[in-house]
Amino acid sequence: MKPNARMSSLLPPLLPLFVGMGVCELAVRSGWIPSYLIPAPSEVFRSLIDDRFELAIAAWTTLSSALVGLLLSFAAGTLFAIVLSSSDLARRAFYPYAVFFQTVPIIAIAPLLVIWFGFGQPTVIASAAIVSVFPIIASTLLGLKSTEPALVDLFNLYSATAKQMLYMLKIPFALPQIFSGLRIASGLAVIGAIVGEFIGGGGLGSVVDSARTQQRIDRVFAAVLISALLGVVLVGAVNFVSALTLGSWHTSERKP
Amino acid sequence: MKFLIIVALIFSPVIAGAAESAKAVKLQLALNWKAEPEFGGFYAAKLSGAFQKKNLDVKITEGGAGTPVVQMVANSKVPFGIAAADEVVISQARGTDVVALFAVYQINPQGIMVHPDRGFKSIGDVFNTPGTLAIQSGSPHTLFLQDQFRGYKVILVPYAGGIATFLTDANYSQQCFVTSEPLIARKKGKPAQSFLIADAGFKPYGTVVIARRQYVERNQKQTRDLIDAVREGWIEYLRAPEPANNLMAKLNPAMDGDTMKQAAEVQKPFILAAGASPQELGKMTIERWKTLTDQLSDIRLIKTKPAADKLFRVF
Amino acid sequence: MNSNLHLGRSKSGATVSCEGISRAFTGTGLVLDHITFQIQPGEFVALLGPSGSGKSSLLRLTAGLDRADEGRLAIDAGQDAISRGFVFQEPTLIPWRNVLRNTTLPLELQGWNIDRARTRAEEELRRVRLVEFVARYPHELSGGMKMRTSVARALITRPNLLLLDEPFAALDEPTRHALQQQLREIWAALGMTVLFVTHSISEAVFLADRVLVLSPRPARILMDSSINLPAARAAALRTSLSYVEEIRRISAAVPIPEGNA
Repeated sequence: MKPNARMSSLLPPLLPLFVGMGVCELAVRSGWIPSYLIPAPSEVFRSLIDDRFELAIAAWTTLSSALVGLLLSFAAGTLFAIVLSSSDLARRAFYPYAVFFQTVPIIAIAPLLVIWFGFGQPTVIASAAIVSVFPIIASTLLGLKSTEPALVDLFNLYSATAKQMLYMLKIPFALPQIFSGLRIASGLAVIGAIVGEFIGGGGLGSVVDSARTQQRIDRVFAAVLISALLGVVLVGAVNFVSALTLGSWHTSERKP
Repeated sequence: MKFLIIVALIFSPVIAGAAESAKAVKLQLALNWKAEPEFGGFYAAKLSGAFQKKNLDVKITEGGAGTPVVQMVANSKVPFGIAAADEVVISQARGTDVVALFAVYQINPQGIMVHPDRGFKSIGDVFNTPGTLAIQSGSPHTLFLQDQFRGYKVILVPYAGGIATFLTDANYSQQCFVTSEPLIARKKGKPAQSFLIADAGFKPYGTVVIARRQYVERNQKQTRDLIDAVREGWIEYLRAPEPANNLMAKLNPAMDGDTMKQAAEVQKPFILAAGASPQELGKMTIERWKTLTDQLSDIRLIKTKPAADKLFRVF
Repeated sequence: MNSNLHLGRSKSGATVSCEGISRAFTGTGLVLDHITFQIQPGEFVALLGPSGSGKSSLLRLTAGLDRADEGRLAIDAGQDAISRGFVFQEPTLIPWRNVLRNTTLPLELQGWNIDRARTRAEEELRRVRLVEFVARYPHELSGGMKMRTSVARALITRPNLLLLDEPFAALDEPTRHALQQQLREIWAALGMTVLFVTHSISEAVFLADRVLVLSPRPARILMDSSINLPAARAAALRTSLSYVEEIRRISAAVPIPEGNA
């Protein structure tokens, strides 16, 4: 990218950030906003630097739990969607229960997860998986149902088997939708992991819990910042795989 | 006729002023948890008329997990609140000028609750044996114990309140109020043994009444009146806890009247040592506040040590 | 490009026999009303009718993609197995496969070894003059190139019945004319039965030996007529008098759409 082009793509999002942080800093320093409501950005950065090792280890724990949870929900969700897409009866019977995964308040069932999976990463992974599975089911189902009818006709014309229809047509055709669902699911997986950590222990969730107990709002913000970054990392990974897979043919990946 | 009207007008402020002073002063006391025998004396002070006698109309509001009582007091949202002694020290170290006025517990009832069949003899045993211990992450008592028993073998897990996991998991221990959770567990069919954290060396006062120093200095008589009434309320509650327990059972359905009665009985020695004068109820010493400050500094919860005499006022 | 012209009927086409075919759809009502016709092996037949007249439905019935409510539809290729090719209105290419792999698809679905399928595909792509573009993806092709790929794909199984559903309607006129001519040449070379659906009278007359004119919904056959034009349809034909005469003759049977002068 030429220097000017890079400037014009980085400047717009960064400018409001710097202005916002500057205003916040002044407001807290002058006492206009009490520091227990919002910490001064400089305090948050000091926290990030002081605790960088602890935060890095916690971030790695949360990220690995979120990633495993995401992979589990991807495998289970995709399989579930494929089964539902192949039978109208199955879809009508079981899809409403999938919606349950969307609406269940994870903070309320997290203590149950601890009883089933024990303290530590198993509960955190389960929490991440439960929270992130629905977007994958919904998007994959939509993708599988949206196959271009003329292509389905083409496959039927040559008496394609159900397996051929699924692997050679429906699944590849649904990939853009599947990736779309994965993108949403990755952010949710991080949230699910952190909520799981509130109850199950470890990772950034326990950093937030401990900081909250000590009323160190600056540490809370630092941990929250890092967890937002984790979401970005996961979505970035999904985008990367999406570009590799769809790059050659899908309009969403092609540059204008 | 005109003369009478003028006299009435001249004296109306006096009459109004007299009527004002006859009206009780409205105050609020913010608790940091739900209504439990821990706060019995405050409700007793209300029910027995102790507040009324001092011309105070005190509204007691319950709290819950995470209620920021210290912030509420520091920002003058409420004049009086309940907090832990370490919260006072930490706030002072950060420049928030709140002071402690009355301590309900001379001996802090914070403890660790375990299954008796584990064979533990002390908190040290709990920490040095494999298993899980649910304890509030980042709390002063947690950091103290982690420091005290460095190299501990138990796995520390988040404490989420309640006793649900204790009832179902035989290798699970948790923090508790020795006057509260073990009784509930016993009632649910699971015998429980408890150890005082104070016995391990960490003994802050428990359940202290706090207010802003500025408020206290501006309203000395009112504060003294309130604390006197609180003391009377606690004396009454120690003598006859039933009326207050009945009221609290209505306010907090999580604890039934029976359990409250037991808890009120069990907590007596923590509030007033046997043989001590009731007038000593709630009073605090500078030595204990200094010890607490030193301990909090050792576990690096505070960077600067506030002077111990700034932390409390005796009424 | 007049090489390889076969005149007369070939033995490699299938017969299509429609007797009293009716089809109704919920919401739309009766679309085909007792359609009856016979197509002989190797005939190039145009199905002419206005938009929405049910000609696409009739084609899908012939392709086996749908079942009639009434009547009998029989396809017979004698001793050979029936093999159909279908060219859709849209090119209907698979976007993640290149030209070559799009063309090999029907053989892959029938279990052919991929290398043998590739060789066959190159043959057909040579026929439609696309062999230099085998590695291109659909989004890199023009409309006409995509349509030619679709034709190559339809031909790869050596169909004895080739069905086309207004394949050239979306193309610009020069491309359309070129592809019409290419199609005629391919038919002349291979000799399969062709059923070509269109709403363009001039296209039907240029391409077909025989035209079936359908009425608007519910469709009936209004006219079943041979085209009196030479077997070789060169570009020069488009400006000849006989061509225009045939167009006029067929137009007379085509009903004027309602609401137009």
